[in-house]
Amino acid sequence: MEPTDPLWAARLAAGDDHALAEVFDHLAPTVYGAALRVLGEGAAAQDVVQDVFVELWRHPDRYDPKAGTLGTYLIVLARHRAVDLVRSELRRLARQERHYRLTPEGPGPTPSDAVTAADTADAVRAAVRLLPDDQRQVVELAYFQGLSYREVALATGIPEGTAKSRLRLALAKLESALDRQLLESP
Amino acid sequence: MTASLPAGLRERVMAATHQVRQAGQSVPEVSEDSPAEAFGHAADAFYQTLCSLTGDDWGLPVLRDLDVQGLVGHLIGVEDDVQRALAGDPGVASTDHVQSTQPAALRQAGRPTAGTREDWRRAADRTLAAVTGGDLDAVVALHGFPLRVRDLLVARTFELWTHENDIRTAAGLSLAAPAPSTLQPMTRLATALLPFGAVFTDLHEPVSVHLVLTGPGGGTWDVAVGDPSPEPAALGIVTDVVGFCRLFSNRIAPADLDVFVTGDPRLARSVLTAATALALD
Repeated sequence: MEPTDPLWAARLAAGDDHALAEVFDHLAPTVYGAALRVLGEGAAAQDVVQDVFVELWRHPDRYDPKAGTLGTYLIVLARHRAVDLVRSELRRLARQERHYRLTPEGPGPTPSDAVTAADTADAVRAAVRLLPDDQRQVVELAYFQGLSYREVALATGIPEGTAKSRLRLALAKLESALDRQLLESP
Repeated sequence: MTASLPAGLRERVMAATHQVRQAGQSVPEVSEDSPAEAFGHAADAFYQTLCSLTGDDWGLPVLRDLDVQGLVGHLIGVEDDVQRALAGDPGVASTDHVQSTQPAALRQAGRPTAGTREDWRRAADRTLAAVTGGDLDAVVALHGFPLRVRDLLVARTFELWTHENDIRTAAGLSLAAPAPSTLQPMTRLATALLPFGAVFTDLHEPVSVHLVLTGPGGGTWDVAVGDPSPEPAALGIVTDVVGFCRLFSNRIAPADLDVFVTGDPRLARSVLTAATALALD
């Protein structure tokens, strides 16, 4: 019996913690690298590595060796998780910006918060401005106005599937454009 | 792209993984048969195999000097001895497993095979009835082994499954495997008895065995075999759960088992040999 991906999969399913440690030592640097490519340096990429290996240990049966290598599977998991983090951050920034716009008379942010928020919002806006028109439009509707895919499709007169694919493309470009400081902002 | 891992990340990730699932737990989880359920399922499977045999199959040579009908007679004898043990009869405590049941085996010669088959079914049902509602932790002595009733039932599960496959092999049928729910108590017993197998095979060298049985019904165990020691040799053995059960039943040789070993291969062979040592024919 050779140490192959199917064997690792079978051992993980059998609750073999030694196999988990072996897989980590073998593949964690690649998984971390994949997360770094999306997120830049920092704690967020480490969180992704943790999430990926927790997922592998909790649901080892979701990896099908017939579908590809374990390394590829973990890299795909890492990228999905990293993109989820970026999306979540974008939504948070959009919510924050809307909040500041809609509550000018409230207690408001501290001067420091305001500067940080303005910086991050500027960064997002700058990145969004670089997008092609059709992608910029769906991002603004989805993230700054909070519309669903269906509502974006209705508002722009395009099919829902097209709205989704434009958003995916736009997010991929934003991930590259946004710098690490923005993603690591609290 | 690979990247150097930050210090402490490995420890942090390992700690997080162990929070969501204990080492040793197999996934997907399967429900585990109680000892009586395991024995009942093995008895049902054995009976179904008997029902599928042709008249000629019953005369096929299968084990030792027994044909299929004689082997079923041997099992009728085993059930009788089990019931005597459960009733506290010391007469079966140290008798030999084969000698004690040979008269029952020989009595089947010339009988209608349906009579042998139904006699065995009734004998197995009497065993089940005898343990229902009883103390599963009571220790009984049978054929030289003192065992708790719960362990005796699982040992009998092994015996029925093993002889079912003896008969299936003789009749040219494919081998049968227990359901994962039945395999669970079987593997639990087999791994618990591994240190005793080491005693039987004079394996004194202290070894910490990390035993991984793959497939539904499997799991992972850390078993200390050999003489106690603060620094035992570390040995990892990975093999298929059904294959390991066949090894424990002495129906496959250690050399023929597909295993992945980390550590000393010589020690691995000794441990696998120890696993076969407690099987009874």
